[in-house]
Amino acid sequence: MARVYVSSVINGRSDRVWARVRDFNGLPSWHPGVAESRIENGEPSDKVGCVRDFRLRNGDRIREKLLGLSDYDLFCTYEILESPMGVENYVATLRLTPITDGDRTFIEWTAEFDCPPEREAELIANIGGGVFQSGFDALKRQFGG
Amino acid sequence: MIRIVRSTIIDAPCDRVWAFLRDFNGHERWHPAVGKSVIERNQSSDKVGCVRHFFLRDGSELRERLLTLSDLEQTLSYCLLDTPVPLFNYVAHIRLLPVTDGDRTFWEWRCTFTTRKGMEEEMRRMVSEEIYEAGFAAVRAQLTEATAPEGPR
Repeated sequence: MARVYVSSVINGRSDRVWARVRDFNGLPSWHPGVAESRIENGEPSDKVGCVRDFRLRNGDRIREKLLGLSDYDLFCTYEILESPMGVENYVATLRLTPITDGDRTFIEWTAEFDCPPEREAELIANIGGGVFQSGFDALKRQFGG
Repeated sequence: MIRIVRSTIIDAPCDRVWAFLRDFNGHERWHPAVGKSVIERNQSSDKVGCVRHFFLRDGSELRERLLTLSDLEQTLSYCLLDTPVPLFNYVAHIRLLPVTDGDRTFWEWRCTFTTRKGMEEEMRRMVSEEIYEAGFAAVRAQLTEATAPEGPR
């Protein structure tokens, strides 16, 4: 089981950051790597169990299922149903925690998955750096640093 | 039940912050409100269940028991046993989490307690400002002093 952990600090209150990231269909509005997204079967994007079908800017198509969403603890957990990444049992969580000192937000993005051992380092680098940290960098810009 | 949560970012890796916090008797060296402190019965300060007996700078005498200590999670929790101030059922939790973006530390300090009617705001202010926020500032200052000779990182 490979594990990815990336965390950062966003210069905005956690309720404002949450408003940006809680929409399971909202990746194109804040993540620079995502071109378009839709929720299957016309379901609302905060219905646990809904599936998002989205396309990256490089053309890759990914389907992910919402496993958990908490407006109280500010986290969102999902699994990959289909992707070209070559991973199995991929489950990820995006979590926000308030930083009371300065009204900022501590943001964590974790993933666990199975893959062939020879691909593990590359996948961890791509997911952690390419997907998660680039999302954080975009949020940091959107919230002014 | 009163709940307090205070959190901050320390510009140092978790291991360096944890080195301050994991010693349950170490607060006498870094917390500005704490004077002399000893672990009772000559026990080691990382023995879960040990009791620290200490004095605040204002002379008040307190005893606290270590309830949880985890080097893996970098968490600890403790409860108050004896205190001259009206803090009842006081249980506090400290946890550190790594900020991988910049190799920093997220430090959260939270507690729950009850108090006498009318004392809520005073106790809330004392714990959050004089204990938690003052503790954040003291550790931040000591880590900054310690790294200053090496220049900016």
